[in-house]
Amino acid sequence: VSTQSTGYKVGFWATCCNSLHILSPFTVMARRYDSRTTIFSPEGRLHQVEYAMEAISHAGAAIGILTNEGIVLAAEKMITSKLLEQGTSSEKMYKLDNHVACAVAGITADANILINYARLATQRFLFSYQFPMPVEQLVQQVCDLKQGYTQYGGQRPFGVSFLYAGWDKHDGFQLYQSDPSGNYGGWKATAIGKNNSNAQSILKQDFKEDMTLKDAQQLAVKVLSKVMESTTLSSEKLEFGVLTRQNNKTVFRSLTKKELDELIKSTTIENTDAK
Amino acid sequence: GINAEYGVSQDCLWFLQLSFSHSLPSSKSANMSIMSYNGSAVLAMTGKNCIAIASDTRFGIQHQTLAANFPKVFQMSDKIFLGLTGLFTDIQTFHEKLVFRLNLYKLREERDMKPSVFASLVSTLLYEKRFGPYFVEPIIAGLEGPENKPYICSTDLIGAPLLTSDFVVGGTADEALLGMCESLYKPDMDPETLLRPFLNVYLHRLTGTHFPVGEQLSI
Repeated sequence: VSTQSTGYKVGFWATCCNSLHILSPFTVMARRYDSRTTIFSPEGRLHQVEYAMEAISHAGAAIGILTNEGIVLAAEKMITSKLLEQGTSSEKMYKLDNHVACAVAGITADANILINYARLATQRFLFSYQFPMPVEQLVQQVCDLKQGYTQYGGQRPFGVSFLYAGWDKHDGFQLYQSDPSGNYGGWKATAIGKNNSNAQSILKQDFKEDMTLKDAQQLAVKVLSKVMESTTLSSEKLEFGVLTRQNNKTVFRSLTKKELDELIKSTTIENTDAK
Repeated sequence: GINAEYGVSQDCLWFLQLSFSHSLPSSKSANMSIMSYNGSAVLAMTGKNCIAIASDTRFGIQHQTLAANFPKVFQMSDKIFLGLTGLFTDIQTFHEKLVFRLNLYKLREERDMKPSVFASLVSTLLYEKRFGPYFVEPIIAGLEGPENKPYICSTDLIGAPLLTSDFVVGGTADEALLGMCESLYKPDMDPETLLRPFLNVYLHRLTGTHFPVGEQLSI
């Protein structure tokens, strides 16, 4: 007998009993089935959401740093095989519109769905209002979608966290982080994915309010090097994206292999100098 | 009849003009076409490794000209220009719809759309409204592929494409434009020589048409 079929029946009775505050022989078994997505556990947790975040903590790290000159998004590439066709498309960073881009940590297939949704949202807004969608509104739309999967439908949540980097007329450069629960926050510097707590504490120590973009890039390299598994840092394992304003236009650019190599070299040199 | 209301002397003539135009019957003769309600003219030509596209800049409602800074050619991407003739509200909306689709294509494919692909998109979007169409007749002009081969195309309001290698025209002055093009066009003109007959065609057409479409061009 599959757990699926018995689970439904037991869960149904268990929830009835729980809501009527009746002790039943099923309440003990019910705890096993609280792992259903749209139900609270007796301790008041949403297990599926937590499991989703656990999935993300095994994914490649991504860091975002906000400066007055722009935003740096840096990520660790997990899939590096010589057999892989290295096209122009990126594994971790995606443009959502001309003025917003995001970095991904988690299940790539889930991320693709959300990225497509976000892109449609930006274009729908542009079509209706004839100006670029404010960054926070975009984040809210995506987060509202994610939240729906924690409350309705019985489908599992998306196993993705995003770092959104964008510029708009009202609030300038902004960096946001969202997670599978649908929660989001604005940050000056933050990290998602593997070892994100380590990365976050290093960022907390070394982030300064008026960093230049170059400083931020070097800080990102430094943080990633301490957080990534491989001992040697090379441009094949990294992806860097920079969002800036040039000529009254917002530009999101990925650093080329050459630029990455130079950046890594200059960061290690400075670190050894500091020592 | 004329509804003559008098304002203060300087504004008097302006007032009169406004009132006069409001009291005109809504159709000039028996039945005015919706496609000539606003009036527009767009022309595109191919040359040697180049294309030229021009439109008038008049914004008007029937006989009345309201503005002279309303071009009807839009640069959709680096190598694609779109000229739209017809009803202005539909020109604006249809252009915005195309921007929507083009942006999504660029985000997903991470490259620009080819002009021929864009023309197919235009055709498809128009036919979707087959029984309640957008009153626009688009002209697509661009440079196709890595060799920048000139590409021009026009469609009718329900998306039937017309692919030519020389020139396409659209709008209320289309027949006049066609005539001038036929006589002045030569294949494989380079950009400078292309512009000369181009302007000739345009300037010539500006005189003596049913709906004069403004004295400025945007090229």
